[in-house]
Amino acid sequence: MEALTYSETTQEFLEFLKVKNDYHTESLDLLEQGKSRYIADLKVNFKNSFESEFLTKTEIALLGVAIAVNANNQTLRQFFTLNAKEEGATAEAIAEAAACASLLSANNILYRFRHFTGKEKYNEIPARIKMNIMGRPVSGKEFFELMSLAVSAVNGCELCVTSHEASLIELGSKEERIFEAVRLASVITSVSKVIY
Amino acid sequence: MSNRLLSIGQQFPAFKKTAVVSLEKGKEFYDITSDELINDDGRWTVMFWWPKDFTFVCPTEIAEFNKSFGEFRDRTTNLIGASTDSEFVHLAWRNNHDDLRDLKFPMLADTSKSLAEDLGILEANEKVAYRATFIIDPQGIVRWVCVNDLSVGRNVKEVIRVLDALQTDELCPCNWEKGKETIKA
Repeated sequence: MEALTYSETTQEFLEFLKVKNDYHTESLDLLEQGKSRYIADLKVNFKNSFESEFLTKTEIALLGVAIAVNANNQTLRQFFTLNAKEEGATAEAIAEAAACASLLSANNILYRFRHFTGKEKYNEIPARIKMNIMGRPVSGKEFFELMSLAVSAVNGCELCVTSHEASLIELGSKEERIFEAVRLASVITSVSKVIY
Repeated sequence: MSNRLLSIGQQFPAFKKTAVVSLEKGKEFYDITSDELINDDGRWTVMFWWPKDFTFVCPTEIAEFNKSFGEFRDRTTNLIGASTDSEFVHLAWRNNHDDLRDLKFPMLADTSKSLAEDLGILEANEKVAYRATFIIDPQGIVRWVCVNDLSVGRNVKEVIRVLDALQTDELCPCNWEKGKETIKA
């Protein structure tokens, strides 16, 4: 089958994502075949996420790494890793973002289960999950909490979301910053459905 | 001369003007009318003015708008550049200047200065347009206007930011609050 030629909007988007010339996905094909104007919206949402009053460029990139790792998304993981390096993030900070996505994925399941069932007994049984990276995060306590919240929001654990939000407020984070991180996570997740 | 600037909430004035759309022989010109501003496709318009062709500040600014052409297209927005020079001056300038040769948006010629006058952006002494920018919604209503004096350049990013803020978002019913009007796209 002959490869579909993508619209200018999509081509510019792919250029921005620094993928190869012949890059295509079946989801993008579906959107293109139906000439969907959604691609333009998705692209604007994504590009606008890089302009923030409340998150630094490095923080945006590291949150991107965490959300891309959480989504098992190769293309976006590579994009945000490169982006993080360009913005001066250390290898340690990038590693921590990836680790945060993985650990929180475990926590989200476990605490969600406890919350779902609401049985005291499950709170008494030890979790037996090592969480040493939460101890002294290289990106700082507040940012680690922010990444944790973003991943938890994506994975849909109510208990984790409310706990990390409360902890961020206690650390002095503004609601605007918290919402921006969750917004970013939501946009990256929506992009991950068509770019992968 | 008093210039009363056309402001927010007002209907963009009716016009029919020739614009330069291409350098290709026989395809250089196209008539733009105000009818095109009003549409059912949710298409917005950004019209930006400069005082004179063949000056220094202008090409930088115009090139900047051209670089962001994709940003406007992705926001379902037509971009129109305009000055009181004639279409032939526009064409000559485009042919003459490296940065202007591959312009993706039309250069409107308000040769009679009637549109600039209706918009209230005609400078009294020289009868040239101020650096005005208008954002017009799909109903043909002016939703934002910004006028700079002749020597002050514009920030294209700011225009895009305002456009984003004006265009309706959060159409999702999740965002409905009790008592709120039904959301129209």
